[in-house]
Amino acid sequence: MDRNLLGYKGVRPVFLAVGFLTLVQSLSILLLATSLAEVISALFAGNPLKEQWGTALLFLLAFLVRHACGLLMSSISYRFAEKTGSAMRREMMDRLFRLGPRMAGDQGTGTLVTLVLEGVTKFRTYLELIIPRMVGMAVTPALLLVYVYTQDRMSGIILTLTMPIIIVFMILIGMTARKQMDRQLESYRTLSNHFVDSLRGLETLKFLGRSKDHSEAITEVSDRYRSATMRTLRVAFLSSFALDFFTMLSVASVAVSLGLRLVNGEMTLVTGLMILILAPEYFLPVRLVGADFHATLDGKEAGEAMKSIIDRETVKAVALEHSAPSSSEAVAGDEGRPEDLSGEEDTAYASSAAGKPGTNPSGGGNATGASGPDVSALPDSVFAWTDSSSLSLQGIGIRHEEDGPSSLEEISLQFTGTGTIGIIGESGAGKSTLIDVLAGFLHPSQGSIKINGYGVSALTDDTWRRQTSYIPQRPYIFSGTLADNVRFYYPEASLDAVAGAVAAAGLSPLADSLPDGLNEMIGGGGRSLSGGQEQRVALARALLSSRPIMLLDEPTAHLDIETEYELKETMLPLFEGKLVFLATHRLHWMSDMDVIIVMKQGRVAEVGTHQELLERKGTYYELVEAQLEGIH
Amino acid sequence: MKREGWFAPYVSSYFWRFLLIVLLGALTIFSASSLMYTSGFLISKASIPPENILMIYVPIVGVRAFGTSRAVIHYVERLVGHDTILRILSKMRQRLYRILEPQALFLSSRFRTGDILGMLADDIEYLQNVYLRTVFPAVIALILYAAAVIAIGTFDVRFAVLVGLYILVLVAVLPLVSLLLTQKRQREIKQERNRLYQKLTDAVLGMSDWMISGRQGQFVETYEADERAVARTDAALRRWARLRMFLGQTVIGIGVVSMIWWAGGEFAQGAIPGTLIAAFALVVFPVADAFLPISEAIEKIPQYRNSLERLASVEERPTELAAGGEKAGNTSYEGDSKLAEADGVDGGDSALSKAGGADGGESGSANLEQSEAGGVVGSDSSRAASDLSVANGQEGHSAHISLHNASYRYGEAGEWSVRDLALDIPQGAKIAIIGRSGAGKSTLLKMIQGAIAPTAGAVTINGRDAASYGDRIPSIISVLNQRPHLFDTTVANNIRLGDPDASEEDIAKAGALAKLGDLIACLPAGYDTRVREAGQRFSGGERQRIALARILLQNTPVVLLDEPTVGLDPRTERELLSTIFAAMEDKTLIWVTHHLVGAERMDEVIFMENGRVEMRGTHAELMASEPRYRRLYELDRPGYAAQRATSAN
Repeated sequence: MDRNLLGYKGVRPVFLAVGFLTLVQSLSILLLATSLAEVISALFAGNPLKEQWGTALLFLLAFLVRHACGLLMSSISYRFAEKTGSAMRREMMDRLFRLGPRMAGDQGTGTLVTLVLEGVTKFRTYLELIIPRMVGMAVTPALLLVYVYTQDRMSGIILTLTMPIIIVFMILIGMTARKQMDRQLESYRTLSNHFVDSLRGLETLKFLGRSKDHSEAITEVSDRYRSATMRTLRVAFLSSFALDFFTMLSVASVAVSLGLRLVNGEMTLVTGLMILILAPEYFLPVRLVGADFHATLDGKEAGEAMKSIIDRETVKAVALEHSAPSSSEAVAGDEGRPEDLSGEEDTAYASSAAGKPGTNPSGGGNATGASGPDVSALPDSVFAWTDSSSLSLQGIGIRHEEDGPSSLEEISLQFTGTGTIGIIGESGAGKSTLIDVLAGFLHPSQGSIKINGYGVSALTDDTWRRQTSYIPQRPYIFSGTLADNVRFYYPEASLDAVAGAVAAAGLSPLADSLPDGLNEMIGGGGRSLSGGQEQRVALARALLSSRPIMLLDEPTAHLDIETEYELKETMLPLFEGKLVFLATHRLHWMSDMDVIIVMKQGRVAEVGTHQELLERKGTYYELVEAQLEGIH
Repeated sequence: MKREGWFAPYVSSYFWRFLLIVLLGALTIFSASSLMYTSGFLISKASIPPENILMIYVPIVGVRAFGTSRAVIHYVERLVGHDTILRILSKMRQRLYRILEPQALFLSSRFRTGDILGMLADDIEYLQNVYLRTVFPAVIALILYAAAVIAIGTFDVRFAVLVGLYILVLVAVLPLVSLLLTQKRQREIKQERNRLYQKLTDAVLGMSDWMISGRQGQFVETYEADERAVARTDAALRRWARLRMFLGQTVIGIGVVSMIWWAGGEFAQGAIPGTLIAAFALVVFPVADAFLPISEAIEKIPQYRNSLERLASVEERPTELAAGGEKAGNTSYEGDSKLAEADGVDGGDSALSKAGGADGGESGSANLEQSEAGGVVGSDSSRAASDLSVANGQEGHSAHISLHNASYRYGEAGEWSVRDLALDIPQGAKIAIIGRSGAGKSTLLKMIQGAIAPTAGAVTINGRDAASYGDRIPSIISVLNQRPHLFDTTVANNIRLGDPDASEEDIAKAGALAKLGDLIACLPAGYDTRVREAGQRFSGGERQRIALARILLQNTPVVLLDEPTVGLDPRTERELLSTIFAAMEDKTLIWVTHHLVGAERMDEVIFMENGRVEMRGTHAELMASEPRYRRLYELDRPGYAAQRATSAN
């Protein structure tokens, strides 16, 4: 049923245990059937009640053993499912946080969260059900059937014939139902989303004065949805109908044929009763599989979805040969070669700004990345950034899908030491993608990077990320105190240091106005902050960590102009002594930047200072001119 | 309307269907039991000499009939059940919609995101389980319980009492114990899972920050620790469920033995024929199938409570809002809720007509009746409505908006959101409003829309209180906000929402005014292309243009622009604004903006801060007199000063 199933850790002992228990269970079913049949036929024959106690107790014992086996089986498979599910979630979470925000964005936050929370539950249910069901299907009917054959061939034949009929019908009906579902999938989806769509658009409907009338549309669509659903259900329920119908018919046929042979004296009552008791038990495993079919199917799909995330490749930054190849081939992991860099490592380390929190180059650099020998061979100091460090991108390109359009093409740039670098362009020009490469969220699909003289394939390395602080348009404010939010990069920071960063980021007025000051809860569970305040929290974070590189991705475009102005006033002095990358479409930032990179359609159009670029009368000049024209 | 409001009304309005479902359900179990009963009887009977096939003819027919009927009855039961439930869901959806509809303008401030709306919709879906998984099985079990005890009672009352006790353990004792034992844990799990959901959503949204912080491993660690705690509670629940199942089975096993013992005794005394021993013994198993699942059904009750509570909380809020509105003056919301109550009194369809009462004045006569019931506000609104239709007919589209020292605050002791605002906006005026978040801009807009009435002072449209227009406001004021919703239908249908009677030509004309032409030309089916969920097919600027065409079709004298260009890049922003300005030549524009691009096209620019007007004047005046304005303008138009300097030379 599922090829992955045998691959899970510790699945074999579970199969063995469940198999053994199923065997015991089947035997106890045989025992309870025979003992029950014996008691009844003895009583029927007029034997006194007293003599039957032994057999009756035997029946009760067999009955209890049978259910105790069920209990144990479900307990064992639950424990296995729980362990496997958790391990899988753990693995997926690790992978998610290594794959980065791009992938999360592609999948959709909601989908991912649902997959982690509900998908794992579904998957667990699947694992928990599938093992006992599979084993039960394989063992119990076969065993019971063999026994029935030894007692009465006719009944055995009836039971044998029914099983394939049931299975064939269920498959046929299942396929028909699926086909019908697929056929109306699109309209089905629209109908089922209509209500949520209406609720989400309620405000718009109200503005349009259509909100009252729309309630009729809701009723109408709901009714259409109902008819569509019922059409599908009529077919879908047929499969359980077939299951019911044929098992019941089979039991009835067995009973009638037993009756007829009893009349002819070809059989004893005790055998007849026993077979009659066994007949429903023979079908029980199939019926359970049918009943849990959807749960297992859902769980299986969830498991596959998780697996596809876990199996996704995370490309680690690898060292390239010292004379970095200028070819645009991405270098695969196993081609990178460890190099003896010990001599240079020392110098690099000596010149790095020691004592800065968070920049400690040996601080468990590759904690999450012990996946390949090449990575561990890269000295951490490669990624350490100092005043004399240099970074150059050579022919960097990003292509999200094969054959798809490139979001970055042939980017070659050089940066050294400190300074402010503005990245400007219209939306879709590749600003954010470039920032993602620089922040180490994305592994370029083309080109190479040279940092401090060493060739690497990408910046996707924890040590590099620990050199950088990042301020996106909507910084992450988690549910916690203001102080903890500011301490995000550097949890060990003292409260004084936090207060200092808060003051420098211009958050003091906010902190003072809060009843609990720095200890006020903010984010999801607490007070919500305005866009400007969120930016200041991110800024305080960056300051506290004193990381040498700052990346800002469109930090102010969504703010009102006064907030933007004040934020800019706060930010500019704080850029001093850092390497700052600021991507934006707001032109006013540019005159304060040391270098401006103008992006256009995934390529670098121009590089230069504000003045130089104006004089060049190129793309940048056009942007400025267009802005000045105002609105006609 | 209390908690049962989402439950009881549907039982009464679908009583006969419910009865049918329950009877069919009971019949299903009855057929299955009868199959085993008659089978047992049949083979016992067949074994008694003299052997004669005619003797067992009737039981053979019975066995065959019961063997086939169970599946058929069960199939019909499920279909009827689902059909009924889907009908109920349809009514619940309608009801939820009617509860939310009056609060439409406050939803975004009440709920953090659109997610809560999705959750409410899910809650309703979830409530179908109340019937399918809990109510129906429970009632069916009770019916069978009664039937079983009565059937045995006809043979032996004392044994009937014993059987009654056994079944009582299955249908009442175990479920109640189960409920008591698991209730707390279930609640814990639910809460804990909600927290996990929140935590994980936050973390995924902030994934880049986690990666940069280098602490993602730490997050995964704490998250997994939380998950383990939930898993422990869950494991405890599951242990109990398994144990409960085993206990239930034990009761059944003992029941079978008791049955044999009793039937054997009766037979020995000659009270029953021997053929019934097997019949009685075998019938226990299928009958027990009806009782075993009850514990699980009852255990689910706490889970429904969450959904019911959430739905109830949505219902309760409007009164809160209305109470707030009452202090502020009379709002249309208060009127609505009063109307709803007044209407509900004359019963009939209870819940639905209660919700239906909020329909406002659609037809003239209904309007009059309702306004009497609703008091001052209702009559005001109907008068305004009729006045307006006259006004519309006579002088076409014109609205003069005035704010006379209008102030507003939420609650009695709250901070003033807007203070002493005096503003005169004649037809065709164009004003821009700018300020930080929390400066009072959205409160101002809501007052102009009449969604809230000023706490002090007055906001009037053509001399009448804005709040008194109620549902007629959309014929005077249209709104283009930051994220206009595009519905999952065609572009044309989305535009047509502005005016349902619009012809294809009208739509194309509106589209052309909104400069949609090039975009439409690129679409596979032109105006009949579907926009996909929430307009995903289109970029932000394109979505705004479609929404613009929609409000052009709505054709109101006043247009409120509520930061429609946030998130657009400068070129798109400029182009969109110039389209808007060109299309809105004769209309009143009240434009809340976060940038100063286009300010020079406005008659007046108003800076708000802490609910007050900080600066106001035309662009030229402010440029001349306010250094602060100059500074901000320079920020929006870098190089402007330099250019002016060069052009002056």
